Amino acid sequence: MNTNQNRRQAIFALVSAAALAALSPTALAQSAKPVLNLFCWSEYVPEAVIKGFEKETGIKVNVENYDSNEKMLAKLLAGGAKYDLIQPSEYVVESLIKQDKLEPIDSAAIEGFKNLDPKALNMPHDPGNKYSVPWMLGTVGIVVNTAKIKDDVKGYADVFSGKYKKRIVVLDDNREIVTWAFATQGISANDVTPENLAKVKPIIKGWLKQVKAYDSDSPKTKFLKGDVDIGIVWSGEAATLWKESKGSGKFKYVLPAEGAHQFVDSLCIPKGSPRKEAALKFISYILRPEVSKLISEDFPYTNPNLEARKLLSKEDQENPASYPSGDPKLETFKDIGKAARDIDKMMTDLRSQ
Amino acid sequence: MQVAAAAKSRSAPGKKPGVIGWLLLAPMVLWLLAFVVAPTAILMVASFTAADDNTGFPVYRQKPVEDGETAKPTYSLSNYKRIIVDDEGKLLATEEEDVVQIDANGDEQVVGTKKVTRFAAPYLRVFGYSLLYAGIATVLCVIIGYPVAWFIGRAKESSRNLLLMAVMIPFWTSFLIRTYAWVTILAEDGLMNGMLQYSKIISEPFQMLYTPGAVVLGLVYNYLPFMILPIYGSVEKLDNSLVEAALDLGAGPVRAFQRVILPLTRPGIVAGIMLVFVPAVGMFAISSLMGGGKSPMIGDVIAGQFFAGRDWPFGSALGMTLVLMFVLAFLATSRLRKAVADVE
Repeated sequence: MNTNQNRRQAIFALVSAAALAALSPTALAQSAKPVLNLFCWSEYVPEAVIKGFEKETGIKVNVENYDSNEKMLAKLLAGGAKYDLIQPSEYVVESLIKQDKLEPIDSAAIEGFKNLDPKALNMPHDPGNKYSVPWMLGTVGIVVNTAKIKDDVKGYADVFSGKYKKRIVVLDDNREIVTWAFATQGISANDVTPENLAKVKPIIKGWLKQVKAYDSDSPKTKFLKGDVDIGIVWSGEAATLWKESKGSGKFKYVLPAEGAHQFVDSLCIPKGSPRKEAALKFISYILRPEVSKLISEDFPYTNPNLEARKLLSKEDQENPASYPSGDPKLETFKDIGKAARDIDKMMTDLRSQ
Repeated sequence: MQVAAAAKSRSAPGKKPGVIGWLLLAPMVLWLLAFVVAPTAILMVASFTAADDNTGFPVYRQKPVEDGETAKPTYSLSNYKRIIVDDEGKLLATEEEDVVQIDANGDEQVVGTKKVTRFAAPYLRVFGYSLLYAGIATVLCVIIGYPVAWFIGRAKESSRNLLLMAVMIPFWTSFLIRTYAWVTILAEDGLMNGMLQYSKIISEPFQMLYTPGAVVLGLVYNYLPFMILPIYGSVEKLDNSLVEAALDLGAGPVRAFQRVILPLTRPGIVAGIMLVFVPAVGMFAISSLMGGGKSPMIGDVIAGQFFAGRDWPFGSALGMTLVLMFVLAFLATSRLRKAVADVE
């Protein structure tokens, strides 16, 4: 072999070694700079917040995204990667606590914890907030394009009355759809039994025929492109639509009269994280009113940080999708374990007719 | 590919590869072992297990039985049973369905009921839809791709590379961006409806997106190059004098195509069908992006088992069924091809 070939081989070996090193998460952990491995929802943590935290603390934040609680759960429980901070919804927090997969947090000792709305604390999934600090809250409700639909839509039954056939978008989330049907029958979202599922199956069958599209990622786009006129979506999507049609009132958000799902997304530290200090620093950083305000401006869900809410523009404070008025009937999700399988089975059946 | 070619050049064709040949092949063999054989084996074992109630992960070893509990079998065929039959063990189910007619006002009216028989298990139905969509997409790819491949293969040598590049250009962007582009084109306020309305061909926008047709379009668009390239390969190799001879001997263009061109380019068509049909059946994401999630394909249902469905063993069983289907189809076609070759 000539030297040229040797050199080429050496370069090849170096490149592949570097590529392998870059791929392995442990390599990230071993670099000299302190790091924080944040595993969070896509479109939920503004870039400015990450940059600000890195600049102030010198801790490098490695961000990895997921787009559903279940994907996060699958990755976390399968092990392999080490995450220091995750962002699960309420029923996942409950399940993780049950399985002893979270580090306890002394919430009261965290600077800024007192800024949080007492209504967002001490909830059934984590009494006393021993494992979780709320990030954002939200609801699932009805968006109406009032330019196209003049009726007074009050609840799920109105959406699926048959009048808006093929103009409806709903979340591509089987448990959500089942929950809405349950609500029309006065059944709790967490009472997922075979009998109750059998009871709502014909109702859902009738509903699905009227749906134009399922979308959990960005249903607002379908409203803006004129593909749908009414839908049941996350309140953050509704709030963005409301913001975009500034003042015209084109997109109305209605919390269903039958009752709605309220979700609570929190920050938690997975069991065995070696960088608990850094994780707590991040939590306390985002609890600062001026930082929390940045999150609300980009992702207008219901901010539990009362001090941050005061800093928001009047328009944002009055956004009916972010901060609904009145006293709506809200319910959070509980972990339903293997009943998730029954839901999946029934919905696959209905959606493949 | 390069490795295999290098191995060949060192040893005479037909001879078994020597030590150096094997060394050069080693990376590919290791790759296949680590990323194809091993995962498939894991998938197969998992498909016979039951899922953990909390996580949905496969349980390879059941917990010891406590008092009053009945032992759960660790391995069983129940996942496969669930794919084929419904809870009552039925393969087919007959249901009454409304017959809908559109009346003079454009409203839908129920005018009666009819009996519809279909697979009782939803998963079999989804398999059916996936095969149907992929089948239609493959046929369309052949119909659209063959003339294109023929044209490129017969074009002047200087322009051939340019044309081939034109086929490949869409692949310079990501699959998702290409698919989202179609969403923008087909939306109700999109380019296509706008153009048709402007040119007075239609007065009201009509629904193109979020229909089964859109799913097929997405499949055809994404897989067309995989049909064009292998057919182009056969066309390019086709000896023009054979076609001329057929024409000289009195064959019309149709007959020459049927008896000479088609048989000679058949390997390209077969390769194209394999490259399009197989991945199209398992495709996911297109049905949710362009079909609005209303025409579930088996790829989406399998992915769902690992997340919201929380049943990894069942997802594995669905995946194994897909693999098995292709292996059987492959064996059947290769046997058929051999039989045809023997006859000829």
